Order: sequence, then structure tokens, then C-alpha cells
Amino acid sequence: MRIKGFIIIILLVCSFTVRAQDVVSTTEQLIADIFEQFKAESDEVIDYESFYDDLMFCAQNPINLNQTNRDELDKLQFLSEIQIENILSYIYEFGSLHTIYELQLIEGLDMTDIRRMLPFVRIGEGDDSKNKIYLKDLIRYGKNELLFRLDKGLETKEGYQWLPEEDVDAPTVNPKLYLGNELYNSLKYRFHYKDRVQFGFSAEKDAGEQFWGNRNKGYDFYSFHLQLNNLGKFKTIVLGDYRANFGQGLVLHPEFSMGKSSYVLNVAPRNSGLKKFSSTDEYNFFRGGGATVRLGKFDLTAFYSNKMIDGDTINGTFPTIIKTGYHRTLDELAKKQTVNQQIIGGNATYTNMNLQIGFTAVHTRLDNSLVPDKSVYNHFYFSGDNQTTGGIFYRYRWKKLNLFGETAMTGNGALATLNGCYFNPASQVSLVVLQRYYSPEYDTFYASGFASGSRINNEFGIYIGAEVRPFKKWKFAAYADNYRFPWPKFGVDAPSLGQDYLLQADFATRKNLTMYWRLRYNEGQSNLSGSTATMPVIVPQQKASLRYQLNYDVGNFSFKNLVEGNLVRVADGNWTYGLIALQDVSYEFQKIPLQLDFRMQFFDAVDYDNRVYAYEKDVLYAFSIPMFSGIGSRYYLNVKYQISKQFSIWFKIAQTVYADDREALSSGNETISGNRKTDVRLLLKWGF
Amino acid sequence: MKKICFSIVTILLSGSLEAQISNVIPSSVSIANSSVADSRNWSAFSNPSTIGYLEKPEIGIQFENRYVISELSTKSVQFGLPTKLLNAGLSFSHFGYSLYHEMMIGVGFARNFSDKFAMGVQFNYYTAFFNASNSYRGELLPQIGLSVKISPKFNLGFNTFNPFQTNIQTEFVTKKLPSVFSLGTEYFFSPELVWRTQLDKEVSSNYRFASGFEYQMLQNVNVKLGVYGSDYLVSCLGLGFKFGSFLIDLNCESHPLLGLNTRVSVKYRF
Repeated sequence: MRIKGFIIIILLVCSFTVRAQDVVSTTEQLIADIFEQFKAESDEVIDYESFYDDLMFCAQNPINLNQTNRDELDKLQFLSEIQIENILSYIYEFGSLHTIYELQLIEGLDMTDIRRMLPFVRIGEGDDSKNKIYLKDLIRYGKNELLFRLDKGLETKEGYQWLPEEDVDAPTVNPKLYLGNELYNSLKYRFHYKDRVQFGFSAEKDAGEQFWGNRNKGYDFYSFHLQLNNLGKFKTIVLGDYRANFGQGLVLHPEFSMGKSSYVLNVAPRNSGLKKFSSTDEYNFFRGGGATVRLGKFDLTAFYSNKMIDGDTINGTFPTIIKTGYHRTLDELAKKQTVNQQIIGGNATYTNMNLQIGFTAVHTRLDNSLVPDKSVYNHFYFSGDNQTTGGIFYRYRWKKLNLFGETAMTGNGALATLNGCYFNPASQVSLVVLQRYYSPEYDTFYASGFASGSRINNEFGIYIGAEVRPFKKWKFAAYADNYRFPWPKFGVDAPSLGQDYLLQADFATRKNLTMYWRLRYNEGQSNLSGSTATMPVIVPQQKASLRYQLNYDVGNFSFKNLVEGNLVRVADGNWTYGLIALQDVSYEFQKIPLQLDFRMQFFDAVDYDNRVYAYEKDVLYAFSIPMFSGIGSRYYLNVKYQISKQFSIWFKIAQTVYADDREALSSGNETISGNRKTDVRLLLKWGF
Repeated sequence: MKKICFSIVTILLSGSLEAQISNVIPSSVSIANSSVADSRNWSAFSNPSTIGYLEKPEIGIQFENRYVISELSTKSVQFGLPTKLLNAGLSFSHFGYSLYHEMMIGVGFARNFSDKFAMGVQFNYYTAFFNASNSYRGELLPQIGLSVKISPKFNLGFNTFNPFQTNIQTEFVTKKLPSVFSLGTEYFFSPELVWRTQLDKEVSSNYRFASGFEYQMLQNVNVKLGVYGSDYLVSCLGLGFKFGSFLIDLNCESHPLLGLNTRVSVKYRF
């Protein structure tokens, strides 16, 4: 088998040279492209920084495939569970890999997957992960990075329409006016020594927040983190700001979680364990410390967090946790850090070759009681000042079946359970089936996982996904998800149900030409607008969309075309349509380290329900998939210039022009008069 | 006076029916105005990247008579000059008559990159005569084009005219200028038979879809057949003749409501 394998490899190497930078010119772009596949059409606010950080860290410290384990490969979120299992079992069965091209012999990995893996993996001998850490090595081999970012909208928004020097009391008279200027600014410092030591800090000021004045001095948000890995018996130690993710996320998973995407097999969350937090998300993190100890096949974790969160407190109660992180007006400042939240938790996980089983428990205490304003949809939301949640998760490999799941329970006895199975019946076919039931009464802080709704509660559903590679150059992915919400939810005043379907065909003719077609269909239910009936009336809402994307490279030029149309129908009304079409041109200069990206885009989605999304290239650490509704066009220029080995600069200018005769954009403090919106963004990076 | 009123009504009517705010952009030589991916012909104010495919200098004049009303005619001239570094094109167009007219002049530059793709940019200066203020008002309208030969038989074209949606603002009125996005394909079944499709969107008007075939029936004769649809479906027929270095094209459209639209062009390739 092995000899045969090497012959195949040699033939493959001769006929097809793997080049990591054929379609995507840089690792940064590769990471953004992967993320886009996960979050192509999402209304959620998504933390791209953490996703980027994790993968970029792997690029700087490539995983040694011959010494790797599941925890490490889990960081490569674009690989499916089946692919990870196949890599591990191949290495277990045949021993160390001799060359990276040997990956082609592993079932379920095609050239696209291997190209994506290349920047993040290496083939090596030895294991230096247990070596002692010396201060002189930290100083000599440690890598530092300093980032400074500025964003500004060129049109003045309503909230800034007052002159501080002429009308000092304006924000007091009208507590909804912005106190600060229009600049967004962040400053970040990071240090890492291999994957053993990482520390850094972040500071951020949102647009409208006061930087220096009578209400605030300095940045609005500060964050510090330290993470040590493989220190004696300690697998991980974290101090400062960090995150804790365990199991399928039903108990704890404060960061990016897998959901329905064109990576149809990637439904289980990754990044298990404690991990530094270096993003500027102002809610989804813990502040304190924690440690994981490895005892044989057991990992034992304990952590504690104590931080202030935002809420509108009145007489020791507050109706909701404010997660936006905006403190721009006196109103918003009055709600800043008014509630103390303490979290203590632990996890024990047993892992062997075919089985992983773990238990997680977490207790949360608030110094004010969370009492949601009562409404039908939030009748079962958590109410009180302390909560305990526990859960058991598992993963078991039995022949070609990979079973996984988690069952969790809150202190009030409410249950949430998710169970699934990956199956690889043939090398060209991979399947996944997943069932979930989240009780309406189940509601816990920091849970996230596979769900159709935005919370882990009030949902029952079955998901089936398949990936088939029937011919060379073609890949088909599809999923079907049927779900119901047994209790009313926000915007739907009665129990409802829905279904989502996706079919995507990927075609790669040559190294420099790829294209895909993506057909999506979603059917849900919503309140009948304008209904005066006493009893809630809900009506079906259907949305079908078709996207075609073409990417091609010619020399230093890269082009991308995208056309997408959608049709929406509410109840028995007429179908309404939305459309977007764009042309991207990128150019990477050969003799100077300069890269330019230019886009022209047109959109036509008169109804909000027909809104369309398009991923945009952006400055480092920024990721944008803006949403468009109305009729108009958009264009941007994105520039990256590497001044020296240490210094790089990114700049982006983008403008959206609406052609539907609107005289103002947005609403409230964000209102811009006119039909144009222009944004500029600048980022400086100093690596030393 | 009657004639003027009739003309104005017709302009407005034809404007709404043809998905065009302004008629100063002349129709192209490509059948059904499917010029965005046409790699063989450069037409004035169409995709500027096609200037990049010019191999010899050329000069051309066009006359387009809408619905047999001379007041609605568009006259245009063009001159293309290939050089080693960049190809350049100069275009001029005039629409209307003494009381109402629009003019546009454009200078375009394009380059053909190893015959794999071509990019072009054109700077157009548009001006119109406003009777109310008895003056001319003008604006600079950029145009960007791209043409990519995905394979020797298949070509993709993209063009945008006035992408920044610039309009003319006077004391009394705001004149909307067309902002057009076009995407099209060209497929060669054989060197003699080519099929083009195109989708246009002027931001304030309806979509326009066009498709057409051009067949070289004899060595010097081209037959063209096409159709485009916006509010109405319009069938198009054309003939092309080659006499030495002269190219003569005659295109006709039969609008179901407004009648016959004819366009004739003469081009000389040096």
C-alpha cells in the first residue's frame, strides 16, 4: 500500500505542482475567504478577529502533522470532522508523513483542501513542545506586533451635529447626542513565543465615544491577556481576558460557532478549552484566570471570571444585558459597567483514541437581578441573579461512524441536547446528521452552537448534510434542515416552524479558475404585518436565492465576478426580487510590495426582505460583509503596502450611492443627509 | 410648436421605454446593443476596454435615427489609435436639435494584456443645453471597462458608465444622468458564428437583457440577428459589409410601440 502510494505521489507531484498561492495570493486572503464561506449571509455580529488570530497563529507556527493531535487540527476550522479523523487515522496506521504531498493519499482530502492546509501545516520530526522556556529565548525569538487602526465616515451624522465649543451643554440637554468625535480607533499589542507564550493588550474607542473630556479619559475599552501552554503538568494557563469553550457549546462557547454554511459538514464547534481573548468584542469574554492540567488521559480545567457588564439598572434589577459595547451618549454611559458578573466553572475531559467524554459545569452570579421586561416571547428567558448549568459531551468513533453530542441542563431543570453522526460510506461521499432539542426554558449565558435561531433555546430540529465529489474538479454540497420553535420567539407571536435547504456546486477547471453556484431556499414564519386580530396570526415567508461566483487569475491580476438574485414571498403576496452584481479586480505589483483591490458593485433590492450581502476585502483584522437594500451602487479601493519588513500599511476607501431618491440614510443619531455614504479606514502594523 | 411638443413627449416616452435617461450614448455596432463583451468591435462610449483590442488605427461615423424623427437622432464619431504602451480612443456624440441637445466627448485608454484580458478607462465630458437658464451645464463622467478571455472561445465583459451616479444640478432642475452597469458574454461557436448576451442596468430604470448572433455568411457580408427586452421585447436585424478597409453596418430595430429605429455606421481601418 505504502509503495503504491509513493508511486502515486510521485506521479501526482510530476503532473500537478501544489502551489499554496495560486488562487489566493496571501494567507490573510485565504483566511478571509474561508471565513466568508462560513458567514456569507449572516445578520449576526461576528468576531472575525479571533478567527483570524487563530488561523494566522497557525500560519506563523505551523502544525507539525507528525506530532499533531485532534486539539491542534481542530484549529483548522475549514477541515471537517471526517477529514480530521482521516488524517489522524492515516498517521496512526502508516506512521509519519514523509512529504506534504502524501496528504493526497488521505481519503476525503482534495486539492482545494490541501491548498488551504498548506500555510498552516508542516512535516517535521521531533517534539519541542515540552522544552523548558528560557527568558533569553523569549527575548531573542519572541515576535511582537503593534497595530493601530483608524476609521472615519466622511459624511457628518446627525449625532455629531453640534459644536462643543459653542454649546457645551448640548449633550446634557439632549442625552442622545454623541459626546465624542467620529473617529474609531484601536491599538493592539501582541507578543508570542512559538505557541508557548502569548500576551498582549488591546484598547478601543468606538466612533462617537469620548476619548478625552469631562465624561471619559482615555480609551473606552481595555483588554489584557496572557496564555502559557505546555508548562509542566499545565496544558494551558490563562490570565486576564480569555475564553472557555467546551463540548458542543450548549454550556459554554462564547466565540464564533459553527452553523449552517456551505461547509455543510462542519457543524460541531471547535476550539475546545481555555484560550486567550485578544479581540475588541466588549462582552463575549471572561476576565480573571484559569488553568488546564493534563493528567494522563484526563484534562482538568478550572476558571474564574469577575467583570462588569452593561445594563440599565433600576432598584437592583436590569431588563437585559447590553452587548453592543457602545458608550457614545450620556444615556449609554449611564448603563456602562453597572452590573458585576462572576463566573466560576470547571471541566473534566477524558480522551483516548476512539472516545472523548467530558463534563462541564459553570455557575454565574450577578450583583443585580436580571429581570426581562415580560413579553410572550421572552417568558422563559432566564430571570434572577445566579444560575448553574452543567453538561456532558461526547465523541465516539465506531468503525466508519463518528458520533458526537452534548446534553446540558440548567438549574431550573431545563434540558438542551444535541446529537449527531458523521459517516463516510465511500471516499467520495461524506454525510452528517444532527438532531437538537433546546427546551424553551433552557437559557444560559455564553452558550452558542448549532441553531437556526440566535439563542440556544426553544428549538427542535433535524439537519442532514452531504458532500459528494463524483467527478474530478467537481464538488457538490447540500444540506436540509427542518426545525420548529415550540414557543413564540421575537417577531413571531406563536409557535412556528421552518426549513432551510442549500445546494452548492463547486467547479475548479484549472489552478487559476474556480467557480461555484449556490442555491438556497428558506421557508419560515413571521407575524402578519398590520394584523389587528386579538390572536396572533403568523404567515409563511419564503426566500430563494441563487448565486454564481467566478474567480480567475491572470498573471498578477485577480478577477472576481459575482451575480446573485433572490425572490421573497410573504404569505400569498407577490414575489419580490433582490439582485446584486459585482466586478472585482486585484493587482499585486511584482517589484514593489503593493497590492490594490478595486470593486464596482450594483445592487437592487427594494424590499428589506430581499436584502443582499457581499463580502469585501478590507484592512487587516477587519472583515466586512455589508448588507444592501434599496437601489444603488458601491465601489471601493483597498490598498496594502509593505513599507519595510517591519512596517505595513492598509488603507480602504468605500462609497455607497443610492439611486432610489432617498434624501437621508440610516436613522437616529446615525442619520446622514443625502444619498452617499463614504468610509475610510487606515491600519498600521509594526512587527518586531 | 406642435412638432416640438411631439418631440418632447416622444423623448420622454422613448426614454422610459428604452430604459435610458439620456440618448446621448449612441447604440453600438453590435446587434441588440450587446457590445460589452464584443472583442472584435469597438463602439463609441461602449466598453472602453475593447479599445485595447484595436490592432490598427480606425475612424468611424455613426448616425442613429430613432423612429424616423430627425429630432431624436444621435450622431457620433470615433477615432481609435493603438500604440505600444496603451491604445487610445476619442469619441464624440450629439443628440437632439437646436432647442434641446446633449453632447458628450470622451477620451479612453485601454490595454490588452497578452490577449488574455483588457482593461480600459474613459473620461467623458457630458454637456446639455438648458433652455430655462439659456446655458450649457456639464459634468465629467468616468467609465470603466474590463474584458476577459476566459478561454479562446469565451469572453466576459464588464462596463460601467458614470458609476458615481453624478447628476447635473441647475437652479431649477436636477437632470439625472445615466449610470449604467453592464455585464455580458461572447461565445464563438466557430470563427464565423458568434453569440453574445448582455445584461444592463441603468440604476433608475428597468433591466435590459440583450442577446444576438452574428454570422459571417460570405467573406464580406455579415448577418446579424438579435433581440433585447426591457419593457418591451424588441427584435433586431443587421447587415455588415466589408469593402477593402471600409466597414459598413446597418442595424434596425422594430419597437412594437414606437416603430423603426435605424443605425448606420461607416468605419475605416487604416
